[in-house]
Amino acid sequence: MSHYNNTGGYNNTAYHDSDTLEIDRSPSRKSQSQSHHSNPHGNPYPRDDGAAGERGRSDLLQLPGGVQSSYDDAQERVPWGGWQEGSWRGRDSIPMGLLPPRSESPRWQQHDLNHSGYQIDQATHYDTMPPVRLPSATSGHVSMRFRGSRKMSLFPVGEAALGNLGLSEDDIRNEMENEEHNLVQELVAMSTRDRIKAIRDLPMSFDDKKHIRGQVLALKSFKKSRQLNCFSDCSTTVSLAFRRCGANMTLARQTLELWRGTMKEVEGKFGTGVLSYFKFLKWLLMFNIFSFLVNFGFITIPQLIYHPTPDIPAGVSFRGLEILTGAGYFSHTVMYYGGYSNKTQGTGGWPEYNMQLAYFFTIAAYMVLCGAALIYSMASSFRKKYVLADSGLGGAWQLLCSWDFSVTNEKAVRQRKNNLRIQLKESLSEKVQVALLPLTERLKHYGVFLGTWLLSTGMALGCGASVYFLCQYDTSRTRKSADKASGSLLEEAATLLLPFVVSLINLVVPLFYSLFKKIEHYSNPRMQVYAIIVRNVILKMSILAILCYYWMKDVANTFSCWESIVGQALYRLVIMDFLFVMLGSFFGEFLSNVIGTKCIQSLGVPEFDVARNVLDLIYAQTLAWIGIYFSPLLPVIQIIKFFILFYLKKVSLTQNCQPPRRAGRAAQMQTIFIAILFFPSFVGALSMVAYTVWTLPPSDKCGPFRGLNTTFSAIQIWMDDLNGVDAFQWTVWIYQHVIRSEIFYFLVSLIILVFIYIFRQITQGRQLLIILLRQQIVNEGKDKAFLLEKLQTLQKSKQNKQKKKKQVRKRQENESSTGMQQALIARQRLEQENGDSSSSFGVPMPSGHSVSTTSSAMMQAMLARQYAEDQDVASYRGVPFPADQTPASSSALIQAMQARQRAESQNEDEFYRAPVQSQNPVNALPSAMIQVMQARQRAESEQEEDEFYRAPIHSEHPVSSTSSAMIQVMQARQRAEEEESECYRAPASSQHPDASGTGSALIQAMLARQQVEEEYGDRY
Amino acid sequence: MGNKQTIFTAQQLDAYQDCTFFTRKEILRLFDRYRDLAPQLVPLDYTDQPDVRLPYELIGSMPELKDNPFRQRIAEVFSEDGEGNMTLDDFLDMFSVLSEMAPRDLKAYYAFKIYDFNNDDFLCKSDLEKTLNKLTRNELTEDEVRMVCEKVIDEADLDNDGRLSLEDFQHMIVRAPDFLSTFHIRI
Repeated sequence: MSHYNNTGGYNNTAYHDSDTLEIDRSPSRKSQSQSHHSNPHGNPYPRDDGAAGERGRSDLLQLPGGVQSSYDDAQERVPWGGWQEGSWRGRDSIPMGLLPPRSESPRWQQHDLNHSGYQIDQATHYDTMPPVRLPSATSGHVSMRFRGSRKMSLFPVGEAALGNLGLSEDDIRNEMENEEHNLVQELVAMSTRDRIKAIRDLPMSFDDKKHIRGQVLALKSFKKSRQLNCFSDCSTTVSLAFRRCGANMTLARQTLELWRGTMKEVEGKFGTGVLSYFKFLKWLLMFNIFSFLVNFGFITIPQLIYHPTPDIPAGVSFRGLEILTGAGYFSHTVMYYGGYSNKTQGTGGWPEYNMQLAYFFTIAAYMVLCGAALIYSMASSFRKKYVLADSGLGGAWQLLCSWDFSVTNEKAVRQRKNNLRIQLKESLSEKVQVALLPLTERLKHYGVFLGTWLLSTGMALGCGASVYFLCQYDTSRTRKSADKASGSLLEEAATLLLPFVVSLINLVVPLFYSLFKKIEHYSNPRMQVYAIIVRNVILKMSILAILCYYWMKDVANTFSCWESIVGQALYRLVIMDFLFVMLGSFFGEFLSNVIGTKCIQSLGVPEFDVARNVLDLIYAQTLAWIGIYFSPLLPVIQIIKFFILFYLKKVSLTQNCQPPRRAGRAAQMQTIFIAILFFPSFVGALSMVAYTVWTLPPSDKCGPFRGLNTTFSAIQIWMDDLNGVDAFQWTVWIYQHVIRSEIFYFLVSLIILVFIYIFRQITQGRQLLIILLRQQIVNEGKDKAFLLEKLQTLQKSKQNKQKKKKQVRKRQENESSTGMQQALIARQRLEQENGDSSSSFGVPMPSGHSVSTTSSAMMQAMLARQYAEDQDVASYRGVPFPADQTPASSSALIQAMQARQRAESQNEDEFYRAPVQSQNPVNALPSAMIQVMQARQRAESEQEEDEFYRAPIHSEHPVSSTSSAMIQVMQARQRAEEEESECYRAPASSQHPDASGTGSALIQAMLARQQVEEEYGDRY
Repeated sequence: MGNKQTIFTAQQLDAYQDCTFFTRKEILRLFDRYRDLAPQLVPLDYTDQPDVRLPYELIGSMPELKDNPFRQRIAEVFSEDGEGNMTLDDFLDMFSVLSEMAPRDLKAYYAFKIYDFNNDDFLCKSDLEKTLNKLTRNELTEDEVRMVCEKVIDEADLDNDGRLSLEDFQHMIVRAPDFLSTFHIRI
């Protein structure tokens, strides 16, 4: 916080320079942090060391520029850094010999206690560390790159991990510093918006994010302060103000958010699948609110301003039944098309307002906006949720992705667990079942499919036909009643027959459809859901199509004010649908709950059928869209309806239903629902309205377009008016050459077709690319496995070869040299393992050290062989090793070899050096042993490439050159050097002829001396 | 806003807003939730950044978490000390990741952490078994558990190393769009 709190710090140069002067600051940090070392809040969790240490430092880093607040911050942070510092120091000091020599031994012994089974684990663990730690080196993206450090900071607690990590602590630290620096640089370069987004997306703890953010802000303000001018200052203030404003907007949006608590409750009890129904409902409600605002604002209010009271004929009064039928009193109000005037309002002081144009453009704009919103949400939903979804993920999805974290109800959680268990069991048994299905069974299934589909389609068509005949009957009845002109209540109620039947069909037939699932056997439950959806959509859309046809064809030619008649019919349908949805939730949910719990226990508590309910909503919305032209205020009814429906469904759900048994893929279903809402529903409504506007003659006696040939001719008249005005010539031109010209539409559709084609090709190309890339991932995995296998076989074959070689040599040489051979073999093996996995040395070697302090050289040789063998057995089981040939002769040679082994192993792991050196004074027993140790020391020191060490060690040469053991030691050294310069394997083969050819150790020793001297000369 | 502003300074709130997916109101609401867990421990004034840490027992007893089978893992992953004891920052961090606005990659990353019981950066068989047992209340037989785990690894392991790396997991998440809505805790 400090960096943000004190704004003065922004302009402080030293404060920002500190970023680049980290190294200079670190000593001061040390002293600081150590003073807090005893803080009781010290971090006892070493796993966080890298990140926490850095945080501690960086916060302190800002201390110079800070004031009191920053000091507080530092205080708070210091314990982390303090602990860290201590641990680093401790580790650093081990090689310097400041600590008692055996300070580390408990850890080794602990390793020693571990079984060899653990070693392998350890090895893999160690192996995997580097790629895990540094993924950022390859990935450039900000949100990806910092993962490494968080991983690092979340690394498990444990001595083993620490031991392994200890080695490259500095590297890690440097790496992380670099990474952080790069990240900060990258973030600084971004725009404010992007930066906030990037910071939010970082997979780090909040403190880390805050720290990064502080650094970025500091750096940014520092850069700005260089170009000290008013403008940048102002822009900062302005952008900050904008951001706060934006945050306030989000805040306001959240305050207005409807039903947040209810949504949470539903989600907590029933999960996201059921919640999607409520979300959909809310979304549609928003559509209707928007539609209401637009219509009310641009059509109704002007009408009410100029004609505050509707022209209601005498004898018509409000009787109450209008609420259901929408006829009578309502038919003369602004509720319907007929209630609007065709005049240009605003004579005498009022601004002019052309009702015709207002009506036309409002409806058109609303339709266009709705279409855009639908296309947008549909496309994004498809992109995000549908295209990527892969049905191939059965078990993995169920186990790792299907758990709904939002479910908070205890009962629901229990139920979910049960369901998941059942599903997992099913998916396990399904695999076996599918394969075993015989042909006759499959044919039977296809027959059932055919039958059900024919039946359902037939039912849909039959319903459509019956609705049509009912409509015909309705027309004749209405005509008769219109002739009589008697508005009795009974006749008005008779108009409810048609909507009643339609709604009844909509309620009953889907229930009938859902019975089909008892006889159908879909392999995939989702297919079943899709089938039900398709059937319901066919049913609903065919009924609506018949109704539309009837309205366009019959009603439009029969009645004088036919738009209002259609509006009334739609009103009745909407109201009836509402009543039937209520009935549906009563019968569908409440009754089946009662039956399921009281009468037939086997049925159980019903589930909430999301698909059926959403389809009801879509149907209702289609009615509203069709009605928007005929009844501009129909959205009001729709809003009320949806509002009540929300609470009704919520109560019905919580009282009657249980959570769905199958965790369906809600996201995909949602996409499909939006698609259905767009395609048959919205497109159908739009084409219906467009047909009405473009071709049907509006009624003569009522409505804003009375007296015109078509609704659209209102535009024609407007254009003719504008033609005289010079200022609006461009509008006329657009109308003439764009709106009314076929060639324009022809060109536009041509271009669109071309674009569609191109994009389709691109999509196909991408699909191909995706397939290729997936294949590539799989192939890479295979490659990896193959290479590993190859490596192993290579090593095995090499081992065999060496074994043969050894046997040949055995024939040539006497038994006396067995010791040397053994040692050599042991060495070779170790070398191989070196190449294989360097880590496997880590654990066994220390055990040697701890033991060696007590025993003689002989013991050591034995040990060396033993654990060479152990490793052999562990990693290459099945390769025979002549263990029974162990020589009794304890030649110094073996020791030398052994020493070399150890030296090599230490080459791998610097960390082990400390205890090794510390042995030096302890085991002074055999003289050969000392020499071995010296040799080892030398080998080590050379591997370290440290000039400081080299000098004293080389000076020992003359002293030790007398002993024969030493000669061997020299030879060993020589080899160590050879191997150091070249890769491991090559020398292994080259030195064997050397060793076996000469036979005598003396010559080797001479050679070794020579080389040593050469080297000596070289270096000094 | 006036009186509530005393809990945090404006700068603190800015920092919280920049580093989490929450608005000011939500942050204050979360603070209230946090404080409700232990009113005697959490001060009402956070301007001087008190070092308060609520123990896991309190965090795990929140209604949003108490029935979640992964509550302990969630708390462990998001807490700085790895044992589920949370500061306010950790608390905000947790619900930020679990909020609706968090991007898929971030959610996937933390979900991976939650499922990675042994913290070895891979989902191996033992992790999957633990997950499975948590999700099914130990009611599957050993054989079934083994089969399911094998199936999962078989389906999601792209590089054939016998365990799921973060990349494997993310690749799977991309193909499971529901994850975004299910890895979500409403506050």
